[in-house]
Amino acid sequence: MELTSIEIGLWVTGGMLVLVVLGMRVAFAAAMAGLVGLIWIFWSKKGYDPEDFGWALGVAVKTAGQVPHGKVASQALSLIPTFILIGYLAYYAGLTRALFEAAKRWIAWVPGGLAVSTVFATAGFAAVSGASVATAAVFARIAIPEMLKIGYDKRFAAGVVAAGGTLASLIPPSAILVIYAIIVEQDVGKLLLAGFIPGVFSAIVYGLLIVGMALVIKGFGPPVGGFTWRQRFASLPPALPIVAVVVIIIFFVYNPFGGDAWGTPTEGGAIGAFIVFLMAIWRGMRLPELMDALVETAKLSIMIFTIIWGVLIYVRFLGFADLPSAFADWISSLHYPPLLILVCILLAYAVLGMFMDAIGMLLLTLPVVYPAVMALNGGEAVTAADSAFGMNGTMCAIWFGILVVKMAEFCLITPPIGLNCFVVAGVRPELSVQDVFRGVTPFFVADAVTIALLVAFPWIVLWLPSLA
Amino acid sequence: MAGTASVLEDGSLLSRLDRTLLKLEWSMAFVSGLGAFALMLLAVWSVGGRNLFNEPLRGYVDWIQAAMPVIAIFGISYVQRQGGHIRMDILVGALGGRALWLAEFLTTLLVLVLMVLLVWGTWAHFDRSFDIAKPNWSRDSSIDIGLPIWPAKLVVPVAFSVISLRLLLQLWGFGRAFVLGLDRPVAVPLVQSAAEQAAAEADHMQGHDT
Amino acid sequence: TEWNVSVWGKRRAFTEHIHKLAELVEEKTGGEFTMNISYGGLSKNTENLDGISIGAFEMAQFCAGYHPDKNRAITVLELPFLGVSNLDEEVAVSHAVYAHPAVAEEMAQWNAKMLMTSPMPQYNIVGTGEPRDEVAEFDGMRVRATGGLGKAFTAVGGVPTSVTSSEAYQAMESGVVDTVAFAQHAHLSFGTINQADWWTANLNPGTVNCPVVVNIDAYEALSDAEREALDSSVDEAIAYYLENYGKLLKQWDEVLEEKGVEKVMISDEELAKFRDVGGAPIRDAWIEEMSAQGIPAQELYDLVNTTLDEARATN
Ligand code: NA
Ligand code: NA
Repeated sequence: MELTSIEIGLWVTGGMLVLVVLGMRVAFAAAMAGLVGLIWIFWSKKGYDPEDFGWALGVAVKTAGQVPHGKVASQALSLIPTFILIGYLAYYAGLTRALFEAAKRWIAWVPGGLAVSTVFATAGFAAVSGASVATAAVFARIAIPEMLKIGYDKRFAAGVVAAGGTLASLIPPSAILVIYAIIVEQDVGKLLLAGFIPGVFSAIVYGLLIVGMALVIKGFGPPVGGFTWRQRFASLPPALPIVAVVVIIIFFVYNPFGGDAWGTPTEGGAIGAFIVFLMAIWRGMRLPELMDALVETAKLSIMIFTIIWGVLIYVRFLGFADLPSAFADWISSLHYPPLLILVCILLAYAVLGMFMDAIGMLLLTLPVVYPAVMALNGGEAVTAADSAFGMNGTMCAIWFGILVVKMAEFCLITPPIGLNCFVVAGVRPELSVQDVFRGVTPFFVADAVTIALLVAFPWIVLWLPSLA
Repeated sequence: MAGTASVLEDGSLLSRLDRTLLKLEWSMAFVSGLGAFALMLLAVWSVGGRNLFNEPLRGYVDWIQAAMPVIAIFGISYVQRQGGHIRMDILVGALGGRALWLAEFLTTLLVLVLMVLLVWGTWAHFDRSFDIAKPNWSRDSSIDIGLPIWPAKLVVPVAFSVISLRLLLQLWGFGRAFVLGLDRPVAVPLVQSAAEQAAAEADHMQGHDT
Repeated sequence: TEWNVSVWGKRRAFTEHIHKLAELVEEKTGGEFTMNISYGGLSKNTENLDGISIGAFEMAQFCAGYHPDKNRAITVLELPFLGVSNLDEEVAVSHAVYAHPAVAEEMAQWNAKMLMTSPMPQYNIVGTGEPRDEVAEFDGMRVRATGGLGKAFTAVGGVPTSVTSSEAYQAMESGVVDTVAFAQHAHLSFGTINQADWWTANLNPGTVNCPVVVNIDAYEALSDAEREALDSSVDEAIAYYLENYGKLLKQWDEVLEEKGVEKVMISDEELAKFRDVGGAPIRDAWIEEMSAQGIPAQELYDLVNTTLDEARATN
């Protein structure tokens, strides 16, 4: 039977989903699907002649074998380990605890106080951390025990941390925003600025949701009051170093006094990590703790990179099957209102995100989806007046970037593959992954509201970058 | 996931091999972590040199590209040992006994086949960049300062060979559990965490007391 | 026959000859021989030779300076201050060097055969801030320049910093590099011209050499008619490329004016200084190093010069 390459693509994709459902590690399922797909494509070129199977196998294996080294040896992706390292070092520098303590003394008096404090502490920490998973991992160690102590449901406590962790990818710095910017060749600085308001906005929506739940549900975690103003102000100095790191990172992304920025966001992240490292030493971090931080950084980084190269083997297969161009042609042939198509694309991300992690998903889809979205708006060079979404090409790229990253973050907390939930469950042995997924469910609603508002009111995203 | 090693141990040959390999795997993961640390120092050197002494680090990008495979891949087997690569465990989580071990055995076997093929493919990738007859044994070099690339490429098949050994041990573990119908086999990552097991056991004991 | 062709980036002046070639070949064979040109889907740009060697695709473009150790012999074409003054001369010297047995032998190790070049004009630099029009001002300058160009700038104290072409804009904006050396089309397509305050009109330090190769087995598996169609289309494809690039160069001055970019002319005295340090010594070092590795370096270098003389004589 003669299959077209698109049909081969669909069969292989279906096979990958079956492997994932059967419990094969996602990274390996993607790589396996990609490898099988490559063998299939190469063999089909030779008309499935049995004598040529060996040739097809060899070419496919060698083609796949280029991907792990080739794709991982990238300056852009070097942000990921750096941002993860900063998270663990900040933990040992006592910064996460200081932030949590300050947030607790200042805002825990509201209903659902400790959970609200956790959300705002993660938001504050997001200003130095660029990786959601690392943020979730360190706050799981600090915030969850405190919430459990005063009687929170353990599942909800875990959900707050898993959801709060996602803020790190919107509030700058953010590894995933930089990766988006590089894939679509847009200005990194503007994208990072654009993430700030939506990030804070998400935090506020989370906070309101928790207060609402606390008012409605009986036996929800009680407010924590009784802090004097003296105690409140005393909590600030230990958290102040965060501000220093934030300021430095800002200068590396965008110089507020005009003039050149001091370097790249990549460098800013590394300098931030170094300052936090010095602080950790000054606060008495010992060698075993440093070693622990390094091994934890390695574990999380390797887990993420394994997914990256696994997915990219699959993407290489898609390239040979020529699926991306087929998809772009299909999208641009649709005769529906552009906004409806955009919403459908975002919904497709929600579905895809069930099976994939955020970075893998962006790497997989953007080469196909981004040009389609830009074309929907009227092209890269379109003016706001002539465009479908009422914004010029650059602004559309930024807006779509924030929407996609928010979707990707949403997928970090959705079952069955929600990386943040795996991380939280991993750090806290008393919690299973299922517990965390159950606890994080209310935050789906909050995220859906946030995304709807960002789609309906693009100026929430675009106001800040339009000033720069 | 990070932090929980839900792998049981005993005095059997399999478990001793597991722990021996674990030592190697931990060291490799530690080297990955050191790589991330070095990346940070490299950036400090580069930025400091550029802004303070007008003497930027030559080949900064080349060095980053050389370090990344070490950071991102070298310790991959340690993550596999700890059951740290993510997966969807809704279906396998619902299985128990021999059905569970059979499912685990089959997916592990597939991953082993994949990794052995990738050892071949990544070795070929290394081999194309390596030529013993050339200066620095190099047939592929970096863009700014001409660093030979073969050492970074060699990292990958080495790491993949180690994870292949790990997968062999896990196959042995799951196969043994399947044949003997074990409840709690050693040397394989368990769906339930060790702490959950302990808690479950504690509940069980209480049930007997009252 | 369907061939997969691996290139990178977006469709631009730099890849037009490949599209033209595909068109001509399809036409001449009545649709029997087609080419499917993929921008980045089949390989990473620094691994195109690897893909050819494996047999994953049949045709590809790459640049010598991305990985000098993969293609030592043709790095002669990236030596600074070779004296190539226009695209026609660039085509002539490239194709002469490609035809040299030492080059063919090195490419055969990758199972590759040279098909044609992608001629590019001199890589002049754009920069921000005050124009750098004296050699002394290159000291400590961070410049995005690869291969022999990088070496030339190193000789006068510059620091080559190779961000990828797609990150060049961001690197300039953030001060990671002070200047970027590109051909005009790349300054346009990667947006570095939008960030620039000035452009050196006559620095002309050299260029980058980016051949298009085919997989030898695939080439030999073509029918006689197909092979004939391919070989006979090269000159026409190159002619189309040159015409198209010529148009772009004509518009260049308008672009500079429109973007308010200052055209910097460097004095002959300063150029001579640069050439003294960045030209002959680098060439001599290259010849010595390559000869030691058994590459007929002097012969290749002389071939460039005799070809240049011939090209000028016929024009
Ligand atoms: Na952040
Ligand atoms: Na998900």
